[in-house]
Amino acid sequence: MRMIELEKKLGDFHLQIRDLYLAPGRIHGLIGPNGCGKTTLCRLLAGTLIADAGSIDYEGLKPRDITMTAQKPYMLHDSVYKNLVYPLRLRGIRPDETRVEQWLARCGLADKRKQSARSLSSGEQQKLSFARALIFDPQLVIVDETLSNLDPDSTRLFEGWMLERQATRSITWILISHQLPHLFRVCDEIHFLEKGRHLASGTAEQMLLHPANDAVRRFVAEQSVQSW
Amino acid sequence: MADRLFSGFFSDFFSMVGVTDSIRVTLVMSFWSVLISSVLGVLLGLLLQRAQFAGKRIVVRLNRTLMAAPPVVIGLFSYMLLRNKGPLGMLEWVFTIQGMVFAQVLIITPLICGLIHSYAERIAPAVYAFAKTMGATERQTRWLLLREMKNEVYFAVVTGYGRSISEVGAVFLIGGNIKNSTRTMTTTISALKSAGDFEAGIFLGVLLMIMAFIIQCLADHFRKEDTPDEDD
Ligand SMILES: Nc1ncnc2c1ncn2[C@@H]1O[C@H](COP(=O)(O)OP(=O)(O)OP(=O)(O)O)[C@@H](O)[C@H]1O
Ligand SMILES: [Mg+2]
Repeated sequence: MRMIELEKKLGDFHLQIRDLYLAPGRIHGLIGPNGCGKTTLCRLLAGTLIADAGSIDYEGLKPRDITMTAQKPYMLHDSVYKNLVYPLRLRGIRPDETRVEQWLARCGLADKRKQSARSLSSGEQQKLSFARALIFDPQLVIVDETLSNLDPDSTRLFEGWMLERQATRSITWILISHQLPHLFRVCDEIHFLEKGRHLASGTAEQMLLHPANDAVRRFVAEQSVQSW
Repeated sequence: MADRLFSGFFSDFFSMVGVTDSIRVTLVMSFWSVLISSVLGVLLGLLLQRAQFAGKRIVVRLNRTLMAAPPVVIGLFSYMLLRNKGPLGMLEWVFTIQGMVFAQVLIITPLICGLIHSYAERIAPAVYAFAKTMGATERQTRWLLLREMKNEVYFAVVTGYGRSISEVGAVFLIGGNIKNSTRTMTTTISALKSAGDFEAGIFLGVLLMIMAFIIQCLADHFRKEDTPDEDD
């Protein structure tokens, strides 16, 4: 996926991406300080926001193959189960009950399938929205800090899950997170944004362990004190 | 003895002012006016949310004004339309339940439309973005928006119903407060008051209060189910 001269103005904020390439079939991490434009960029990719200028080459990906889970996931005014199978409903697919059961179990929601999704804790809602995004086998999954409220065990669990899935049939992932150790464990590539601009890209190792770019080095150094 | 006196009082009272008929008239009238206003109000509210045109803000503001307009003014306006020489005179709806329903639809539709519109505006961005990321089609997205405001629709309908049964001005003006035909519970009370018959008025008043209480309970019920919305 290639973004060229992509621009979006929101109030005083100005996102400008000269040229950014995201290789398909890989796990990409997006990092940068608060308000640098990570969510905005991803919303442009997911089509929930329209760019002012520039182009995105999806390399054959169709809008229906792209999904994004939000920082605060949207929960339907309905049960956990109905939320989970909603994307299947939209496509007229009958849910495969054993698979659904498996997803619920993984999210620790097996005995809450009838509960109202809005009454779940924020971590539970995040897990559910993650499962809901994957259940219809999309080709590009954008995860905007959706796993930020998970406990360490659950985070590991979901990481294992992603890598396992990636090993069998690889799709493209874009993860936004401030948890650098988490990104380091799963990402193939990391991209750094600052003030609406794309400053650097590289492998997880290059970017997080030996950053060449000064801004990245400063950012990573500050973060590692907090969470490494 | 006391028993006979009591039942005697009640049968007199019921036939004198047509209490049973007034209850029937109120129920029939409010049923039709709320049904019609709900269909119109929900459709117009959703349409107003989706439509983008110059002057939309004026329309929204006019609608808000209508929401707060004194019913008696709407009653007068309806009367002008419906009277013999008026543009809708051929319907011959003055002094009929149809005429009262007509006026009430003009009062309640803006109320329901306004409630639906402002709620739809509030949740639409989140619902649209969600629908997009789930791969919903245009039609599926529209349907989702309506489904996501199910409770709000109930709430609006119940509010409209409360408005309908409690309203006096327009009903008086159009219906004419004719005993056994267009006399509603509220207009009965005002008639009784002029006749100095307070007990009967209080009886109907208490009945109306009980209905209002039930309606309020329903409205609260739908509001409560929606609260998780507010704090996220
Ligand atoms: N609708 C809007 N109107 C005005 N400004 C906006 C709007 N949406 C976003 N912005 C601004 O755009 C900037 C980038 O926001 P964005 O959500 O993309 O940041 P982010 O990198 O995801 O930050 P975070 O790490 O906090 O999630 C912010 O400064 C924000 O205030
Ligand atoms: Mg963000």
